[in-house]
Amino acid sequence: MQFTVENRPDFAEVQGVGRLNMVSAPKLREVIAGVVAGGRTHVVVNLGGTDFMDSSGLGALIGCLKLARQAGGDLRIANVQPQVRMVLELTNMNRVLTPYDSAEAAFSPRGDSRD
Amino acid sequence: MSEAENVRRAVIVEDNDDIRRLLVQIVAAQGFTVDEAATGSAGLELIRSRGADLVTLDLNLPDLDGVEVCRRLREFSDAYVLMITARADEIDRLSGLDVGADDYLSKPFSPRELAARITALFRRPRSASAADAPGAEEQRRAAEVQRSLLPQQDLRVDGYEIAGRCRPARSVGGDFFDWYATREGLGVTVADAMGKGMGAALLAATVRGVLRSTAGQSDLDLAFGVAGAMLHTDLEQSGSFVTVFHARLDAASGLLSYVDAGHGLALHVSGAGLTRLPSSGPPVGAVADSLWASERLALAPGDALLVVSDGVLDSFDTVDAAMSAVGTAVSASLSVEDACDRILELASGPEVTDDVTAVMLRRGDG
Repeated sequence: MQFTVENRPDFAEVQGVGRLNMVSAPKLREVIAGVVAGGRTHVVVNLGGTDFMDSSGLGALIGCLKLARQAGGDLRIANVQPQVRMVLELTNMNRVLTPYDSAEAAFSPRGDSRD
Repeated sequence: MSEAENVRRAVIVEDNDDIRRLLVQIVAAQGFTVDEAATGSAGLELIRSRGADLVTLDLNLPDLDGVEVCRRLREFSDAYVLMITARADEIDRLSGLDVGADDYLSKPFSPRELAARITALFRRPRSASAADAPGAEEQRRAAEVQRSLLPQQDLRVDGYEIAGRCRPARSVGGDFFDWYATREGLGVTVADAMGKGMGAALLAATVRGVLRSTAGQSDLDLAFGVAGAMLHTDLEQSGSFVTVFHARLDAASGLLSYVDAGHGLALHVSGAGLTRLPSSGPPVGAVADSLWASERLALAPGDALLVVSDGVLDSFDTVDAAMSAVGTAVSASLSVEDACDRILELASGPEVTDDVTAVMLRRGDG
């Protein structure tokens, strides 16, 4: 899984295409740790290209969320695909990692655009 | 367990009875302890549960093909694999695919040729074999220990039947189940630690131990809260989490009190079909200062509690599709053991990469 980082005015957008699993999860942690260490503490993970996530993938998102919050920011997810949504709902983690429609909506001042 | 050190184990995977018998004979004559299987999935199960130094693998099996079996066993086994095919011209193609087999042999083969190939394989040291050999032994031992931590299948609670099955994706895994007698009836746990393999197994054992230690606390919310807080620290350190379903049964009334920490796959089986039980909160280790409020479920005579792990979902597109298949498997089953077997069978295709677990507790009709 390859990750790209784009710096938007209000947040950093991290995008990965492929399966977020035991193999790619450590890489996501590494990429986001780098982003946060670089001072971008508001992070959106765009999951539009992530059609599968296992428990290690979810663990990486949780770890990155903690990291961003410790640094005074936050991590949000956007463009969530059906299987990933299922994992979030099953584990009740959708209450903490709420899916947003798009990366732009995730940190929009109108916080009501959660889907 | 010192006797185990010098015993070489072989698993023969071949669907033709005559050829399998012949292979068993030849390989046993080479000093191996031999197990045999007629299907790919049965073969994988044997290699996983008993370990293997040598695997002979027929290319054409009734369920999975030999290439797929080889790919999957490479996820957890370092055994020498000798692939046997009916067509000599297949060998070139297979060698090119790099499926992880060590040698190829075409049928018909002479016993002498097979014996010579095996001898040659074992003369050829595995790359880094000196380092790997103790690792493989350790893996085998770890799998044995993890299995020994599963509960006794013969625990009796009057008026109830209970069964559980667990199949790790590798030699050990993060799924586990547990049950034990309590004064009122029974304590039951099904949990799934993040990830797979040895790391997940260490966490699973920790969760089992901590939850057992709170069995004496009569208030379930309090007991689970204490266990959850204790585990949170450990799990946070390792950047991990565990989904847990934990229930206590009052045998006389059939009342189950339970906590579902992000597990989400506990079901009430009744005459009306399958109903998924509501979850009580996030997985343990995921969110600091979580509180889980226990829920209650009354098991009427003939009702059952069924808890599966998310490995069951790997073969299906949606949770609903998986639950409907689970429902069909349960209706067709003859006993709680049979129901668990059938559920594991649902999750045995090549797309299943996760540990799979099923536990069923049924109240008798009486």
